[in-house]
Amino acid sequence: MPSLPTHLKNGDVPAEEAPFATISTAGGRRLIAAVNPAAAAAGLAPGMKLADALSFQPGLATAAAEPAADAAALDRLAEWCGRYSPWTAPDGAPGDVGGVKIEITGCAHLWGGEAALAADLARRLLRQNIAHRIAVAGSLGAAWALARFAACAKEPSQPVLPGPGEERAALAALPVEALRLDPVTAAGLRRVGLKRIGELTAMPRDALARRFGEAVARRLDQAFGDLPEPLSPLGEAPSRRVRLSFAEPIADPADLARAAERLADDLVVRLAREGMGARRLDLAFHRIDGRVEHIRLGTARPSRDPQHLASLLAARLETIDPGLGVEDMILAVFAVEPLAPEQMALDGRLDMAASGIAPLIDRLGARLGLDALRHIEPHESHIPERASRCAPIDKGESRKNREKRRLGSPSPPPGAERFGVRWGIPGRSSAPTSPSHAFGAGPSLSPLKGGEGIIGGRGKPPRPVRLFTPPEPIEASWLLPDDPPFRFTWRRRAHRVRRADGPERIAEEWWIEVGTMAPMVTDAIRDYYRVEDAEGRRFWLFRAGLPGAPPPRWFVHGLFA
Amino acid sequence: MPGVANSSLLALRDRIRHIERPARHGVLPFGVAALDCALPGGGLALGAVHEILGAGGDEEDGAAAAGFAAGILARLGTAPVVPAGNGIVLWCLRRPDLYGPGLVAYGLDPARLVLVRASRDDEILWVVEEGLRAGLASGLAAVVGEIGQLPMVAGRRLQLAAERSGIIALILRRWRSATEAAAERDRPSAALTRWRVAALPSADIANEPGIGRPRWRVALLRVRGGEPGIWDVEAADATGHVSLSAELADRPAAPARLRAEPPNSSEKRRRAG
Repeated sequence: MPSLPTHLKNGDVPAEEAPFATISTAGGRRLIAAVNPAAAAAGLAPGMKLADALSFQPGLATAAAEPAADAAALDRLAEWCGRYSPWTAPDGAPGDVGGVKIEITGCAHLWGGEAALAADLARRLLRQNIAHRIAVAGSLGAAWALARFAACAKEPSQPVLPGPGEERAALAALPVEALRLDPVTAAGLRRVGLKRIGELTAMPRDALARRFGEAVARRLDQAFGDLPEPLSPLGEAPSRRVRLSFAEPIADPADLARAAERLADDLVVRLAREGMGARRLDLAFHRIDGRVEHIRLGTARPSRDPQHLASLLAARLETIDPGLGVEDMILAVFAVEPLAPEQMALDGRLDMAASGIAPLIDRLGARLGLDALRHIEPHESHIPERASRCAPIDKGESRKNREKRRLGSPSPPPGAERFGVRWGIPGRSSAPTSPSHAFGAGPSLSPLKGGEGIIGGRGKPPRPVRLFTPPEPIEASWLLPDDPPFRFTWRRRAHRVRRADGPERIAEEWWIEVGTMAPMVTDAIRDYYRVEDAEGRRFWLFRAGLPGAPPPRWFVHGLFA
Repeated sequence: MPGVANSSLLALRDRIRHIERPARHGVLPFGVAALDCALPGGGLALGAVHEILGAGGDEEDGAAAAGFAAGILARLGTAPVVPAGNGIVLWCLRRPDLYGPGLVAYGLDPARLVLVRASRDDEILWVVEEGLRAGLASGLAAVVGEIGQLPMVAGRRLQLAAERSGIIALILRRWRSATEAAAERDRPSAALTRWRVAALPSADIANEPGIGRPRWRVALLRVRGGEPGIWDVEAADATGHVSLSAELADRPAAPARLRAEPPNSSEKRRRAG
């Protein structure tokens, strides 16, 4: 028996004593969309005209049908059914009675057998006042058919559980509509006198397919389990899952935290056995009112440290509303990666992934988002804002990819990993120019002295400690075309330039795509000057565009210490 | 008799110092006698919170303060008092304008940095505290936080967390407006020291026009158990070391400090901490 789905079905209408129906409007007629058990007992059925229904059930309470809300409720119910199995899916064709499919292969023994599972499900649904019919069968098609058509005769909320040999017989007695056929096909079968599934099985298969289409034969095979029919679960199926149920619902944050700890402990045992570490986790809180709350989190590197995982979960517990109480907690892992007992840095460099900082990064990331954590990475570029990039903190695969990319780049500098070389400042400009002017009246100006200003600058022009992205425009006054400004106004403050170095010309990297400099600076050529004002503050200014018309614009790009 | 009283007084002082232990986790000397003499324990105490302020128009951006901090962090990476594996610096900031290539000039390898960007002061305070709580086992060498407002209680929490873990915390104060700066500038805090770093006009290099060696005016505004002072120094070099400016280096340290003592008495009052 490859699969053992169960099928539950709910009308999603209040199961109160008074007759109640939802109404949909179709083509100007008002039709009943769904009825509650009391209304059904009175002889009402979906599809009836409202006027007819009212004629013999004048006290009928009605409400407008809300298909979207129904679908959402069905999704919620399917999610709630996750307490029985990770494989659940809503099954609600529009206009049809909604259902939930649950794949319980390998899960039933946890509840003491299929009958016990179905009884537990029935009890909990009843507590939520959800009218339902449950069937357990060896195939999805059989369960669907039994839930919708077999239970009618019996007590409606009694689960239908055919024994191993009885399934075929039970199906054979059902009407052909139970095969999930479209109404036209079903009507066609009825017209030729084929009313029961049992009558179809006796027919030659190819004749059936020729006469009524492929669907009949396929549905027949699916119902009898001759054709496999996989269940596509709601959301992603977790790779590992641990569950904790409580005899009494709990709502106290301290209890929830303790339960989270226990789940983390249980999970870690499994992960350790498999040599894996968790990367993505989901802790689901099943509330007694049927709602499910989630904590979803990721880790910077595979982890199976129970304390670490528990603290990550605990940090997010305050976002959970336990409502009247939580009766089940399920900790699921969606992504795992192999986690060797220990990791070592291969080169002497600091390896973030190997050091003990990962738990801290996870904690910060859990609150601020892993995106808020960045790494400064050097980059081969003359454009200042591109020479250093803030990359997200390394995460397993992305690091490998980047490594690959770097190796694949046209000119990976040998030993680029070493400090100093790695963080070498690109000194060559694409069009190196260093004209020198010394003029009396204005600020004294020098050509670039190879970074002599900053001690230890290895023949490279110095770079600021603060870089503004985008560069901030300034109003500047200058005398000669190649001169730095002698005065400029930035953030409404006037600065008088006393000393200046430059220019250092940095041109657009034409071999990369055009226009990638800061968006507001379209001019491809920048002349950078390092200037010092009367107070001693040192700025990194640049002139965008060549002198002439239109007049160049000036920007502050950064500040030196 | 006075001799006896003196010696017991000294012993008592020693004991008090031992109890307070501002330098319990060791210190990071500047390597400049004048600065180190002013600090308890002969250097910047580890396991403590140190505030660094900008000056004048730089209060908003804290460029000089960042340079000064980078020098300290660079020396921290090679200091014997810091365990060998601890090199990572957690740098929390609101505006991501820190520029890696610029830090290299002060000897700080940007690869050692983990930047955390948060939008509010209280989030940054939380990050700093988390970093300090993570302890030396996390591989951290220091935590840097760029914040505008540092309430007394928050500062105290940070100081306690730093004392427990032995990690040094540098708080770079950055104020978004002149009014915020005016309100916050003189407010006391729980930090062990408060520094103000201002850019000075660079020292001329003989026969060379243009910008010379960058210099800072480093003011130790407040220090618990030490001696505030102001020094004009040359900006940190590629190993993160500052050095006294040439004209000051020629003189003995004490007169320099006397000369540098701020004239207004409010600075003196705050010396007591």
